[in-house]
Amino acid sequence: MFILRSIFVDPWPFWAGGIVIGLLVPLLYYYFNTALGVSTGYGNLVKIFLPAKNLQWIKTKYTETYSWRVYFIIGIILGGLLSAILSGNLGITTEMGRFTAIAGWPAVLNAVFFFVGGILLGLGARIAGGCTSGHSIHGIANLHISSILATIFFIIGGIITANIVRSLFLGGAW
Amino acid sequence: MDKKLGFLAFGILFGFALSRVGASDYDLIVGMFVGQDYKLVGVMATAIIVGALGMQVLKKFAQPVKSGEPLKISYKELKKWSIAGALLFGFGWGITGACPGTVLAQVGEGKLFGLFTFTGMICGTYIYARLKEKHPDL
Repeated sequence: MFILRSIFVDPWPFWAGGIVIGLLVPLLYYYFNTALGVSTGYGNLVKIFLPAKNLQWIKTKYTETYSWRVYFIIGIILGGLLSAILSGNLGITTEMGRFTAIAGWPAVLNAVFFFVGGILLGLGARIAGGCTSGHSIHGIANLHISSILATIFFIIGGIITANIVRSLFLGGAW
Repeated sequence: MDKKLGFLAFGILFGFALSRVGASDYDLIVGMFVGQDYKLVGVMATAIIVGALGMQVLKKFAQPVKSGEPLKISYKELKKWSIAGALLFGFGWGITGACPGTVLAQVGEGKLFGLFTFTGMICGTYIYARLKEKHPDL
């Protein structure tokens, strides 16, 4: 029972998550000859949810609307759901850690804040050619210089905005 | 293994691992950027090392890959604006405490504001598609 509890209820130690995530890189190559990556699949979602079928980039790059990338995205959502169910944390919550606990903004402003951040993530990932999984995990594991550089600037950007948000809205608390 | 079902299964494993290790937790990601909690640095470092070792094993012992094709590693080229894009991505990472993978785990966990990050990401990708019409070098 201890093992089941460690896997499904208690938070994992860093190395357990690292091992599972890291193993995805060779496993996806072995089974599908495909690189680990999530953000490219958001182009499929654009094609599904937004009027974008006439945009050249969508037309040429996303010929198959419901490709494996959409299934990967759905899988990750289901994985989060499964984790919440098994650990007994299932339910819709408006909490987002210290941000909602300390900033005390009305829900509409919180929504705008996370939405704007999401726009930067989506736009930035496409211009950079990948995200944390494609560049930082897959790319660096294959010692790609472009991925090492991209990751350095991911982290610089994150340090800048996280510290601005902390000092402006979270009272410097941590 | 069917590719779509395979990716559904690996996606579930990925999302489950991200959620269990705390990568979908705003406090852990932002805590890393403000220098208060380095658990996620450990997660990423372990993942990179395990991924790198796994790739070496794959190259030595498991070639060609299962389908019989030669292993084809994808390389993301550095383009003119890549670094600027990476910085923009980082800005979003530090604001939302999420990235394109972990936000999906957040949505699955029922975090309402994660849904707004997720919607923003789709819109950001749409903005890219629009910009790309006039600026092919993006």
